[in-house]
Amino acid sequence: MRLSAALALLLSVSALQAGIFSTDESSDQKVKCVYSGTDGNCVEPILKAENELVITVTGQGVAPSVTASPAQAYALAKRAAMVDGYRLIAERVKGVQVEGQDTIKNMMLQQSSTKTSVEAIVRGANIMNTTFKEGLCEVEMEIALSYSRVLH
Amino acid sequence: MRSRNGNRPFVFSSLALISTLIHAADNYYIGYRLTTKNAQPIEEQFTVSKAMQPCTEYGNFILTLPRLSGATLETVLNLERSTFIEYAAEHELRLKSNETLSSATIQSLQTLTLPTRCYAVEFNDHSVTISLSK
Repeated sequence: MRLSAALALLLSVSALQAGIFSTDESSDQKVKCVYSGTDGNCVEPILKAENELVITVTGQGVAPSVTASPAQAYALAKRAAMVDGYRLIAERVKGVQVEGQDTIKNMMLQQSSTKTSVEAIVRGANIMNTTFKEGLCEVEMEIALSYSRVLH
Repeated sequence: MRSRNGNRPFVFSSLALISTLIHAADNYYIGYRLTTKNAQPIEEQFTVSKAMQPCTEYGNFILTLPRLSGATLETVLNLERSTFIEYAAEHELRLKSNETLSSATIQSLQTLTLPTRCYAVEFNDHSVTISLSK
């Protein structure tokens, strides 16, 4: 009896050492970095394989001052709002290139200008809602980003 | 939710429509460009050209537009421009945007381009069916 108890104790100790009964597996898992940055910090990916990232923007557009009819004004304002919406989507997803220029003469600021630009190809954006009030058209747009959309 | 058997007629009708478009439809190249300045459209250009060679491989992404009898594709697209732009833009568009801020004035110039692509166009009595090639 004592021999069997001692044998069981010995087996359980060796099993614990081998990690068979270890339950803390998550402590060994490490977050996969997508970009370490200059400071070496680990950054988790925003878009993950198992879920979808939905981006919603509101584009604004104005009709030209001279139009043939209110319907044409609405159509043109909506088109301008769509372009603005696509720009906002491109800025959110791809980022904006910013360029600043200051001109200083005799230690005084003469001119200051900032230019922003974005260029992108957009696929799969949808118009969710359109409102037209007092000459201003607002278009609510949505794009869903996922691995399946990126890869196809 | 449809069952598997319930989907069959839908799949068959879609395949029949696509095969009809491939064999009986005319092919057109359609492109579009819109330029806006300070959130106002300043230039809009639609280019429609009949394809000299047939396009192949059509997706199941179909648009049906109303058509007055005898109207050309250009006329139909001019009347239903917004619908067509939304349809084509959902597939792919290119955007270029530039904004300049200086001395408390902001100027923005944006160009939206629908790349010229081949479309199968089937003319019916009161409608036009358009399908984008892959």
